[in-house]
Amino acid sequence: MTAAVRPKETAPPAAGGVLECSGLTRRFGPRTAVDDVSLSVAPGETYGLLGPNGAGKTTTIRMVCGLLRAETGTVKVAGQPIGPAAGAVKRLVGYVPQDVALYPDLTVRENLRFFGRLYRMPRRELDRRVTEVLELIDLGSRARDRVDSLSGGMRRRLNIGAALVHSPTLLVLDEPTVGVDPQSRHAILESVSRFGEEGMAVLYTTHYMEEAERVCDRVGIIDRGRLVAEGTTRELVALVAGRDRVRLTAGGDLKAYAEACLRLPRVEAADVTGEHGEMVETVVKDGRSLLPELLDLAHQCQVPVRSVEIVEPDLETVFLHLTGTALRE
Amino acid sequence: MRTVLAIAAKDLRQRLRDRSAWVIVFVAPLLISGLMALSFADSADFSAKVGVVDLDRGPAAAGLAQVMKSPELARTVQVVAYESEAAARRAVDDGKAAQVVIVVPEGFTAAVGGSGRPQPVAVLENADYPLQAQLARAVTESYVAQVNAARLSVGTAVAAGAPASSAPQLAAKAALLRMPEQVRPQGLPDDPLKVISYFGPSMGMFFVLFSIGFGARGYFAEQRQGTLDRIAAAPVGRGALLLGKSLSTFVYSLAGLGTVLIASWAAFGARWADPVAVAALCVGMSVAVVCLTALVIVVARTERQAEGLSSIVVFALVLLGGNFVFAAAGPPILRRLALYTPNGWALRGFTDLGTGVRGLPAVGVPLLAIAAFSACVAAVTVLLLRLRRTG
Repeated sequence: MTAAVRPKETAPPAAGGVLECSGLTRRFGPRTAVDDVSLSVAPGETYGLLGPNGAGKTTTIRMVCGLLRAETGTVKVAGQPIGPAAGAVKRLVGYVPQDVALYPDLTVRENLRFFGRLYRMPRRELDRRVTEVLELIDLGSRARDRVDSLSGGMRRRLNIGAALVHSPTLLVLDEPTVGVDPQSRHAILESVSRFGEEGMAVLYTTHYMEEAERVCDRVGIIDRGRLVAEGTTRELVALVAGRDRVRLTAGGDLKAYAEACLRLPRVEAADVTGEHGEMVETVVKDGRSLLPELLDLAHQCQVPVRSVEIVEPDLETVFLHLTGTALRE
Repeated sequence: MRTVLAIAAKDLRQRLRDRSAWVIVFVAPLLISGLMALSFADSADFSAKVGVVDLDRGPAAAGLAQVMKSPELARTVQVVAYESEAAARRAVDDGKAAQVVIVVPEGFTAAVGGSGRPQPVAVLENADYPLQAQLARAVTESYVAQVNAARLSVGTAVAAGAPASSAPQLAAKAALLRMPEQVRPQGLPDDPLKVISYFGPSMGMFFVLFSIGFGARGYFAEQRQGTLDRIAAAPVGRGALLLGKSLSTFVYSLAGLGTVLIASWAAFGARWADPVAVAALCVGMSVAVVCLTALVIVVARTERQAEGLSSIVVFALVLLGGNFVFAAAGPPILRRLALYTPNGWALRGFTDLGTGVRGLPAVGVPLLAIAAFSACVAAVTVLLLRLRRTG
């Protein structure tokens, strides 16, 4: 589905950032996974990288953590360049992978101790930090249990805890709430908010708009490898001031209907969404006045409408407006 | 170094929590080598109950009985005398009192002196004791050959002018003379090789080779779990990661092989002449296992490929190396192929050590060969790694 794609609209990066990425580019064969991405995260700031699956979030994060070399551009953590061989700088970074990356046959405490030892922490400090982290992730009572006996939510918390043992300056979380139950998700988001308050710089990737709105001080919107917009939630929403998102649930050929919508003068973007492709979302100027036209068009396209909702502008609207596609694909 | 130790300790802890790893590297080799030791227990402590029926009553017949009771055979042969052939036949058929019987016919001594027709010595056998029968036949044939030599010398003396009446005395004297040893074995070990001394290390090595699969699969499992990325995100160089993983494989292999050898020695009576040389062979084999594990990791792309490839490597090595069959008793082609495997060389060393040879004469060449094999595998691994990176 195509829609209006606007030029990159960015807020100025924070000065004196813990993390500073400049012009990052990475290709895999003919495909450009990350294309000239620049961003900066200041101490105590939580920066959200928001984009759908395949947008380039994980590739960006892998370059930030020194797991992947950038073809062009630089990544600096606390002013020092990072790369696969940059040992000293890596000590400043805590990496939380998207999937739970733990040893299922080791206990909770053994996992934390192992990852702490990789950062050459002195024994006493390591013991102290492991105990602190166990409390932080609320797994103190399960410290002696093997990881494979924990629930999914507990494993997710431990996955984050393993990146905190060495007290990093920059915490990088790659979609930490994917596949997590609402209660654990809430606990994780609470923790992430606290990290920022405690002065840690946090780079947080997600494709959940609500998460980005809730925990991030600034958000960068990434699509097809490019950072298309950046700013606080308020700044980004201001980009779509006077516009509404109209969600129309219907049956029939919704793809044809969405294409027809795009031909209407005040429709800026339209895309088929929903878990089963049962919805068309449009970004329109003054949704209430345009609603009769949208319904009339649905009738013409033989699309039986089941419900209509007009949503106030949010990050989802911004994403649809900027990229022409819905965030949750 | 601390991160290397941390990675190695973590890997070892994981392996020790894996029951299948315990079974394969510690329990199975002990069980199989123990069973082999029990199966071959009879051949390891070989003995023969040999009956002798002396119908001759002369010095030549007495000489045969003396040979049977000689110090060389005293530990192996128990001699039982029988008055008649019929009694001896019953005893050998029963197999309890005698497993084989030698019947010296009447006139045997006289025939040595040239009077009378030479009578054949009979060996009565029991089909259940083929080795004992073979022994009795060999000793008898050897003795009869000596008697024939005595006959020849008496005949020669009489022909040369000695009085014919002195022939019995000459025959008796000749019968008591022993033929000089024609062949003196040089450089052969002093002790016979016990079955367990061969199959203990053989089975230990066979199962320790399985740790190639454990190591390789463990690497790909870490890749799948994402923990390898997590380690790479920490200030841990590739070298430290490789060293840590190699160290765990090395310790695991060494512990497995060492445990099997100690248990074979303590529980099943395996013997090797030189403990330091035994330890050197174990270290050499463990290094070879580390190199082979690295090769499998570099060649394979997935956990499943690593599993298949390591199985092929293990079975190829044990079949060629002689872990299932005693290589020295195998055909020449097998003996030659065994020289291309580290386990084949290690078994060579263990065989020499098991027969009483000590130090460098026993393990010098095997250790060099294992080191050369490991160096070749390591070189191929590095080459493939570079090709993969540039490819």
